[in-house]
Amino acid sequence: MELLLIPLAFTLISLFVPKQTLKYLALTGAAASLVAGIIHLVSYCSCTNFVTIFNPGIATMFGLTLKMGYDGMALVMILLTNAIIPLIVLSNFDKEIGSNRKFVAMVFLMQFALLGVFTALDGLLFYVFWEITLIPVFLIALWFGAAERKKALMKFFIYTFVGSLGMLAALMTIKVYSASFAYEDLVAAQFSAKTAYWIMGGFFLAFAIKIPLFPFHTWQPETYTISPMGGTMLLSALMLKMAFFGMIRWMIPLAPEALDGWLCIGITMALIGIVYAAIMAIKQEDIKRIFALASISHVGLIAAGVLLWNKDSLSAVFLQMINHSLVAVGLFLAAGILEDRTNTRNLYELGGVAKLAPKFGFWFAVIGFASVSVPFSSGFIGEFLLLKELYSYQWIIGLVAGTTLVFGAVYTLRAYQLSMFGAPKLTEFRDLSWNEWAVFFIIGILVLALGLFPQYIFNLVGPSIDHLMETVNSSQIILN
Amino acid sequence: MTIETIILTILALPLAGALINGVFGKMLPKSIVGSLATLVMFGAFALAVTGFFHLHEAKTVHLYSFLNFEDFKLNFSLQIDALSIWMTLIITGVGSLIHLFSMGYMHDDKGYYKFFTYLNMFVFAMLILVLGSNYFMLFFGWEGVGICSYLLIGFHYSDEQKGLLNSVAARKAFIMNRVGDLGLLIGLFLLLAQFGTLEYSELADKILVQKINPSTWMMFGITLCLFIGAMGKSAQIPLFTWLPDAMAGPTPVSALIHAATMVTAGIFLVVRSNFLFELAPMTQDIMLYVGLATSLVSAFIAMRQNDIKKVLAYSTVSQLGFIFVSLGMGGYVAAMFHVTTHAFFKALLFLGSGSVIHAMHHEQDIRQMGGLRKYIPITHITFLIGTLAIAGFPFLSGFFSKDEILAHALHHNPVIYALLAFSALLTAIYMFRLYFVVFFGSFRGTEEQRHHLHESPLNMTLPLIVLAVLSVIGGALNIPALFGEKIAHWMGHFLEHTTAGLANVEAIHLPDSQTMMLMITASVVTLAALVISYIFYVKKSSIPVSDSQQSGLAKLSANKLYFDEIYNVLFVKPTEWLSRFAYNFVEITLLNRIVYGFASLVGKSGEIVRKWQSGVVSSYILWMVFGIVGLIVYYFIYQLK
Repeated sequence: MELLLIPLAFTLISLFVPKQTLKYLALTGAAASLVAGIIHLVSYCSCTNFVTIFNPGIATMFGLTLKMGYDGMALVMILLTNAIIPLIVLSNFDKEIGSNRKFVAMVFLMQFALLGVFTALDGLLFYVFWEITLIPVFLIALWFGAAERKKALMKFFIYTFVGSLGMLAALMTIKVYSASFAYEDLVAAQFSAKTAYWIMGGFFLAFAIKIPLFPFHTWQPETYTISPMGGTMLLSALMLKMAFFGMIRWMIPLAPEALDGWLCIGITMALIGIVYAAIMAIKQEDIKRIFALASISHVGLIAAGVLLWNKDSLSAVFLQMINHSLVAVGLFLAAGILEDRTNTRNLYELGGVAKLAPKFGFWFAVIGFASVSVPFSSGFIGEFLLLKELYSYQWIIGLVAGTTLVFGAVYTLRAYQLSMFGAPKLTEFRDLSWNEWAVFFIIGILVLALGLFPQYIFNLVGPSIDHLMETVNSSQIILN
Repeated sequence: MTIETIILTILALPLAGALINGVFGKMLPKSIVGSLATLVMFGAFALAVTGFFHLHEAKTVHLYSFLNFEDFKLNFSLQIDALSIWMTLIITGVGSLIHLFSMGYMHDDKGYYKFFTYLNMFVFAMLILVLGSNYFMLFFGWEGVGICSYLLIGFHYSDEQKGLLNSVAARKAFIMNRVGDLGLLIGLFLLLAQFGTLEYSELADKILVQKINPSTWMMFGITLCLFIGAMGKSAQIPLFTWLPDAMAGPTPVSALIHAATMVTAGIFLVVRSNFLFELAPMTQDIMLYVGLATSLVSAFIAMRQNDIKKVLAYSTVSQLGFIFVSLGMGGYVAAMFHVTTHAFFKALLFLGSGSVIHAMHHEQDIRQMGGLRKYIPITHITFLIGTLAIAGFPFLSGFFSKDEILAHALHHNPVIYALLAFSALLTAIYMFRLYFVVFFGSFRGTEEQRHHLHESPLNMTLPLIVLAVLSVIGGALNIPALFGEKIAHWMGHFLEHTTAGLANVEAIHLPDSQTMMLMITASVVTLAALVISYIFYVKKSSIPVSDSQQSGLAKLSANKLYFDEIYNVLFVKPTEWLSRFAYNFVEITLLNRIVYGFASLVGKSGEIVRKWQSGVVSSYILWMVFGIVGLIVYYFIYQLK
């Protein structure tokens, strides 16, 4: 339970701490959560299915049970959250925003809500935490975003609201067939194939918008672009991972019989997104938008991996989620550094930065290469596995998705080249400060470690995936 | 030392060099940085030689598994056999000489430590590529050398005039290679789906021993995908235009990566997969014709290039095409033989051109040179030897290795033999043209350049001399049976100790009279080329004219057959157009309009709803609360029922 209480406590504390010490407090809080997460990792044993962290033991009104717990998959997400939050705090450490009370409080609130999403074992609770995550990212963008934020946020709001409605409707429908909102009751619920189809549809709408999948993605580039760096990091590195996790934990297990019906649509959407976003990214001039579009392309592949729903693809999904989070933080930090010091995000106004700031040039290159999934980076194996699974599903789909290998190299190298290479267009460019360097360094180490030893993650999630598959299969057998 | 330790140390040495130089290089003096990088290479080479003598049987060294799924594994493991040791010898041997040369060549460069870090890193990746025991390791190294190549082509990225151009060339190389990589990747997926493993030894066992024989189409698909990968790395039509552009990199890089080692990775891939290709005659034919076309086209282009490195680059492409012809005919040993001798003389020629460029103060246009033989005698003699070797001058290394491929061609199909011989003739002509224009006649550069002309220091000339010796005697590795059964085909016999296959591939045996005839024809062709070039460029002392004055075939050659322009129209422009169309039309005009249309529809549907969509935070939170309250109310009613 301390997993959730620490960030919640720091949300409150940060409202009352003097401004000068705020950033140190933020770092302490983030580190405390990380330590708590690691303690859970060390003591984790895959022998039990769910490790319960909260269970009031009483069935409250209308079936709300408030059960919370984690398995291997949730543990990976918890650790990911608790590792990314310190990186976000550290990225903003020497900035004005890093000492802003509202910002720090919202970051912790986000962490609290995310951990709630990942540990909720009660449908309604999951929904509530899911909705709470919107508050911090929305407010951060509203308070600290770029000038043109109003219109983009409006779009963001409409989209997510529609998605939430879909999920709410699905939850309400399934409750009709279930004794309570407890996870095991919801999984065991029996209903007709048609009902299942619409239940999955409701969830799918919410998740497809959050990921986002084509054609529900148009909020994403704008919201990413107008949000301040910290907000973009929260959105891309953490918030969208809730959707993948939601698919794996909730959407498919609750209505597995509907997967066949949605598979084709889902994969098509993912596939279009992969290629379409990559192609759009090729000629963009705004470096942050390039990375936002790159993100759509990358997450499309992950979404396809979830929908394929077998052990290998799900294992790869978890590895790739971690990779995407790490790379997203790195890329948006790089974009943030460029924008911060030059006051422009336009590639054609940048150039030659590598010569002025060699450390930045080096680390930006490392992250850039990690984002095109070169060997020794965690993306290499994740992408290899996901493409392989897609390929064995339908060879032509694997081939089309594989073009991201080429397009990814095109837009990433172009962005890097135009901003960093050539003769310098600026007279000076401050090289990395220690905290920025630390963020890049940590990301680099993690990317390398996971690139060489991905099996560690697979061992962690493997038993839980097995268990999940078993549960889903047995519930389907009863039905048949 | 056991062979396992030897191989692991060989791998560890360049990695250590790269790490030390990468982290501390900035603080260390240049002499230490350069010596360290060079010493690890010589150390690795010495170990490779030891390993060569310790090699008794093919072995797999398993280190750990990247991943260990129920249905398949991806191992980090090494294959020690004749083929991998042979490649290791070439990489470390030629590599260490090029490192030594670079110490002199790069001496005044600001990025000295970075250069050696990248170079060591490249060697490490290349060794992973050839030493890995499965296709995944190969792919690992394959992408790794691609990155190093990218970094080294664009090494001078901040140059005032050429900086951006250099990085464009680097990007082109990386992206074109990625197209090939996609093919390779799909080949791996097919292999995994078909055989459930990527280990060479297991695959060979399944195919050669257990005789699992998948459909011809499946084998065609697999091998074609592998060959597409090879096309990218080894610069074959249509994926070859990156290699000439890659000459933007410093000259030692061109010698090591873009002539001697990396570009032969595709050939290594095919030789390694010989047991797959033997089951796919259609792919072999495709390989043969692609190789032949590449060889002729690039030899033709090389005829009228005036940049000393561009001539050599096209010559490399042409020679690689030559080797692919051999692979297409099942001549794996002949291919490896030519890879080896080509590594010697092409590295020599590139380093020689580097020495010339160094002397000329970074001038690469041969029209500015001339008469250099008086100023840089060692470079001149060694360059001459390299030229003679590549032209196939009797009894030099290129003579034997080319002849073996030509013998295969004659055995296979006389037309192909004739075309290959023609390609060899073109090679000899443009190489002698290059040699005469650079080293004969009178000096045509500026007074300042003349003043600067000097022979390179010992650490640059020594590698030239060693490589020149190798270019002369390299042919002895695999001489035809004509010269005595005992010493003949030494390399062929050695490579039979390769895991999977090579021993099963039948060698061709031409009668001695035919071998004689082949040799005499080849010698006549080379000498004819020598005489033609001599008359044209020395006696008449004609100097290549500027590109705009060219006409007819010469103009086509000078403009590289307009390949870049055609690709630009066919691929680059449409992609860019598509990108703009996707963003400006589909995204902005279409999708966004639908979203806003939907929003206004909702807005019009009710006064209350419109207020809630104002984008005001409080209203947003209200919405959320509304949702939850709605849910609660719903269930209250539901419970009451």
